[in-house]
Amino acid sequence: MRLTTRAFVGALLGATALATLGALPSQAADPIKIGVTGPYTGGSSAMGVSMRDGARLAAAEINKAGGVLGRQIQLVERDDEAKNEVGAQVAQELISKEKVVATLGFVNTGVALAAQRFYQEAEIPVFNNVATGTIITNQFKAPDYDSNYVFRNSAYDVLQAGMMVDEAVAQGHKKIAILADSTNYGQLGREDIEKYLGAKGVKPVVVEKFNIKDVDMTAQLLKAQQAGADVILAYGIGPELAQIANGMAKLGWKVPMITSWPASMQSFIDIAGANGNGVVMPQTFIEDKTLPKRKAFLEEYYKTYGVTKIPTPVAGAQGYDSVFLIAAAIKQAGSTDGPKIREALENLKEKVEGVVTTYDKPFTAADHNAISRNMVVFGKVQDGKIVYAKDADAKNAGVVRVKEKSSN
Amino acid sequence: MTIFLQLVASGVAVGMIYAAIAFGYQLTFATSKTLNFGQGEALALGALFGLTLAPFTGYWLMIPLVLVFGFALGAVVECLGVRPAVKIKSEYGWIMATIALGIIFRNLAENIWGRDDLKFPSPLPEEALQLGGIRMLPMELLIIAGALLMMLAVEIFNRKSIWGKAVIATSNDIDAAGLMGINTKRVITLSYSISAMTAAFAGVLVAPVTLTGATMGAVLALKAFAVAIIGGLESGLGVIVGGLILGVAETLTGFYISTGYKDVPGLILLLVVLSIRPVGLFGKAVIKKV
Repeated sequence: MRLTTRAFVGALLGATALATLGALPSQAADPIKIGVTGPYTGGSSAMGVSMRDGARLAAAEINKAGGVLGRQIQLVERDDEAKNEVGAQVAQELISKEKVVATLGFVNTGVALAAQRFYQEAEIPVFNNVATGTIITNQFKAPDYDSNYVFRNSAYDVLQAGMMVDEAVAQGHKKIAILADSTNYGQLGREDIEKYLGAKGVKPVVVEKFNIKDVDMTAQLLKAQQAGADVILAYGIGPELAQIANGMAKLGWKVPMITSWPASMQSFIDIAGANGNGVVMPQTFIEDKTLPKRKAFLEEYYKTYGVTKIPTPVAGAQGYDSVFLIAAAIKQAGSTDGPKIREALENLKEKVEGVVTTYDKPFTAADHNAISRNMVVFGKVQDGKIVYAKDADAKNAGVVRVKEKSSN
Repeated sequence: MTIFLQLVASGVAVGMIYAAIAFGYQLTFATSKTLNFGQGEALALGALFGLTLAPFTGYWLMIPLVLVFGFALGAVVECLGVRPAVKIKSEYGWIMATIALGIIFRNLAENIWGRDDLKFPSPLPEEALQLGGIRMLPMELLIIAGALLMMLAVEIFNRKSIWGKAVIATSNDIDAAGLMGINTKRVITLSYSISAMTAAFAGVLVAPVTLTGATMGAVLALKAFAVAIIGGLESGLGVIVGGLILGVAETLTGFYISTGYKDVPGLILLLVVLSIRPVGLFGKAVIKKV
């Protein structure tokens, strides 16, 4: 097995090298190809499409200003359907057929884990801009690997789980109920929450599961109610989180609900309706026009796609920023060579102004997560929109939250 | 005690959703010994079709239109999927054909309505009602009443109308019915039409409580299939009882054992019924003469 893998990698590398050589003479005119992989259909499509649309805006903006290294950026978009096997196929196609210099995307943790090894083997940087699984950036970590080609600018699970727990404790809640969906995403998140609670010496009063497409949450909620829970920490995606909110309303039981970030999905807002009001979740980006950069981004997004709200604001903003980060790295590297772009990313000299934050040395060789905890705020569902949950955050909305040094 | 009753009430509501869908399996099996494995897709198409119509016609006026849509859909399934297989006396051709049609319908729905879960506006207030300590949504009560009414209507049709009598005659003995001058081919088409009609109706009935989308039928139809097996594939009453057993078993297990094992008792029950009484709790045991 080891041999065949090696042979495969060798073949892949050879192909890449040949392709690069072959492309050399006409390089000046050729566009720089960047892969964009995400679910544009299916249950998580709201996140994927927002991410892709954000990335498109960024690419258009860069191209209008003359592109990178005098070349235009061309996004090669592929639908991974939120399926692991399709994601792996897309990765191979983007690498060996489209010859992308980098890829960004991934909404689903499972897809990222299945697909990014192809980039690692081909030494092409891959940029997670939505998926949150903690393990994603640790998959090819030193000392097992010489260099890690996986980067991320989304708030990873450990960070979100910690925030959710701290928020519950800060609100004065003692009896915590955890509800998590039965997918990889939900169960990894639940583990992170339990671990964090354990470190604080708190034991949740109930830990319950639900399935994707579950119709009825009565059993889970009654258990939490019977155990005397005074807060619910829920880890899942939009539709099922909405069923929990609706189930609570049905039982006439109301305790605060703190969820993972997907409660900001449009499907949560639509399905939960008034029952969703007051639900809080960690967010890296809230739709507000406080900074000129954010204002321009939001207005451009609304105008280009004919909407009044980004379906999933966090995904849209992170998708937009990820293109700028890669473009800055290519510029600094002065080439489209994978290892050189990686080195540039790990030591970005230029400050990159995005809409989530201004990235000032977002990555180091050891730290491939651009987002630190101080950059994430709590959003709150209020009458169909996501707003700042805390007055202090709303007041400081215009202050750019920059990454704390070596906080990850 | 209140807790127990609340769990049973929620289980009954879920169970009736299963029963309403399972009822459609029973209708076609009775006449032709075949099933529409695309029942879940018929349910989803009905719900999505209703969702599109509802803004123009309102919820209640939309229902008759959805019934017509379901009726036509059933005829199409029978015509394309079942009739050719039955004609060449293929024992299993209809299984593949109805599954294939189901996949085609699902992809069609995804192209028209997208793959997001949508909100189906509830025709009734979304505030829960308090009934002696138990809380239920008005929509859940409507599901129970609507499903029972639908089954009753089909039973009355079968017993009183001339077409219904033809359906019963065909299900009792298809060869004899054919010899008596009943056009059994058209009876089978009719049973498929009614079956898809009940599925489409069940779709708009449950959609305000479940989520609406092209894949909404996948899990529900599978559960309904288990219900049909437990209750007996030839019995309308069996379907109701089977649905209630499964629904209540799910909520009770979820609360008293673990929500992780919620689906286990239903499957165990399925295995037990299959090994002890393969025709289902209310099925008629028939001796197949070869």
